[in-house]
Amino acid sequence: MTASLGKHAWVLGLLVLFLVLIGLTKLVQPSFSLAGIESLTRAALPFAFATAGMAVVVIVGGIDLSVASMMAVCAVTAAVLMERMAGVPAILIVLAVGLGMGLINGVLIVLTKVPDIVATLAMLFVWEGTALLILNTPGGATADWVEAGIRGSFLIGWFPKALVVLVVGIALVWVPLRRSKLGLSIYATGSDETAAFRSGVPVGRTKIIAYGICGLYCAMGGLSLAALTGIGEPVPGPYLLASVAAVVLGGVVLGGGKGGLLGPIIAVFILRIIRSILTFLSVDPNVTTIIEGVIMVAVVMLGAALTHRGTRK
Amino acid sequence: MKKFLTATAAIALAIPMATAAFADGHKSYTIGVSNTVQGNGWREQMICAMRAQALVEGDVSNLIVAHRNTDSAGQLEDLNNLIEAGVDAIVLNPSNPDALNSALEAAMAKDIVVVAVDAGVTAEGAYILSNNQEQYAYLGAKWLFEQLGGKGDVVYMRGIAGVSADTDRDNGFKRALAEYPDIKVAHEVFTGWQQDQGKQQMFDFLATGIPFDGVWTSGIDNVIVDAFTESGAPLVPIVGADNAGFVQYLTEVDGLQGAAVTNPGSVGGAGIALAVDILNGEAPAEKTVLVDPVLWENATDGGRATITAAQNPNLDPEWPVSVTVPGWTDYTMEQIIACEGPGDS
Repeated sequence: MTASLGKHAWVLGLLVLFLVLIGLTKLVQPSFSLAGIESLTRAALPFAFATAGMAVVVIVGGIDLSVASMMAVCAVTAAVLMERMAGVPAILIVLAVGLGMGLINGVLIVLTKVPDIVATLAMLFVWEGTALLILNTPGGATADWVEAGIRGSFLIGWFPKALVVLVVGIALVWVPLRRSKLGLSIYATGSDETAAFRSGVPVGRTKIIAYGICGLYCAMGGLSLAALTGIGEPVPGPYLLASVAAVVLGGVVLGGGKGGLLGPIIAVFILRIIRSILTFLSVDPNVTTIIEGVIMVAVVMLGAALTHRGTRK
Repeated sequence: MKKFLTATAAIALAIPMATAAFADGHKSYTIGVSNTVQGNGWREQMICAMRAQALVEGDVSNLIVAHRNTDSAGQLEDLNNLIEAGVDAIVLNPSNPDALNSALEAAMAKDIVVVAVDAGVTAEGAYILSNNQEQYAYLGAKWLFEQLGGKGDVVYMRGIAGVSADTDRDNGFKRALAEYPDIKVAHEVFTGWQQDQGKQQMFDFLATGIPFDGVWTSGIDNVIVDAFTESGAPLVPIVGADNAGFVQYLTEVDGLQGAAVTNPGSVGGAGIALAVDILNGEAPAEKTVLVDPVLWENATDGGRATITAAQNPNLDPEWPVSVTVPGWTDYTMEQIIACEGPGDS
């Protein structure tokens, strides 16, 4: 009970922090408006999907260093396919490619028993090379409706379409999973692999599926990159470290078994809006990354202190 | 929880506030800058040229610089932030010609002047000011192939796979290669435009013992000379860019025959000057302004004299030697080295 309260308090705390930061943004840039929130959401899209994927493998007790490379493979695949075929089948193929890459990562880790960090580091280079083989220079094209699909607002005048895509994309996979036996197995495996195994959890299969889901989210991330830019870029973006940062800030314990996806997603938005604020203040760009890092460490440390006090009560 | 929030707010507020705009008869434009490669001599010179030019332009009161290592999606984020920040003009070094159009079109819809420097963008209405990269590679490669008498094996050290400038230079290199059918590429590598990586790659290739007659580099040049001298290998003709370190080697290293092709990072300063001109209603007739490269070689007396005249010991060895763009930039050598923009001091 206290654990679940603690978890919710963390997510709630992040949400409050995000709202405070929005208020702060409005303070430093009075013209900041819903259009600003809309472009913020769009910018957050690839980070959010990468973070969701990373969160799932961290919860199962692993880590996937190849997320950015898988996103690059999916982005170039999407851009190459959409030049030649309709958007919907292309998207389905890209999702399958992402799932496939994730499953390969998982199988490799489970079968060879090479530590996750080493196996996925190796796969980082493999997928990076694959992306360059598919498209050795930025190019391709995306369907117009795909680009329009994440731009502007949805139905009511102010709700960003990108947020709809984000929520639907993540929930469609995560919500049914979380409520199934498989979801429970993922948390059990992450908490204590041996205990889970002795309780009859198919540990290997669970891990492979978790990596597969990570790949699937990376496919969504790659698709959102293609939709944002209208092309496919074979060189991986800065999504690996950013996703680890958001996962940690989002309250998922490195080591596994604890945390959810909501916290990390809000953390992504926090990290994005901090960048906006620093831009509005025209802070020296060489200092911005230092400030970003300091804020992150400070929040995580404060959070840890609060959680500690909470559990002692 | 309360403590947690106050602390966070305190951290956020501790960030230095931007200096306010000043107005003394001049207009007070705010210009936004977006760049996606950090920690590379060329790009740092570009940023410093932008700051220095903004400082000497009387009409610029504030320069917001978004300068970090990121991809096109990250540059879109920065551009959207600059639009939200209410800038009058955006000067950017685009990561890709096609990927940024959504943000650039949004900017131009708000009457923000867009100037792309170093590489082009396809957004309708944007101004482009750049070095001619295809010509850059062609000029250097042609000189090298001439030096070798039109026959021999060369090491081809490129930049970053998949980046537009590298692709353009590859086209220029291939154009020269097609004119000299007896020149063969013995080895082709991507240095990632990283000094340490390029040097190690040359060490590795020298260690294989495979013979070659010349080296073409995409700007990672002085460390290649180091690799030869440190491993005791006989020097071959080397083509590089006008980086201060390499240009110095061209005059100092015994037995080094080489050429530097100019590729001034100061086009960034020219971009600021162009943006201010457009804001003041003095837009050029053409949307695209190309700065053609020049080749400095040390094989002839005339070439050596040109190189000696261009040198300055105070420059960062990784910066291009050509620190100004004649007809465009107005700052002094000291100002670009100081690297201070409006509101910095």
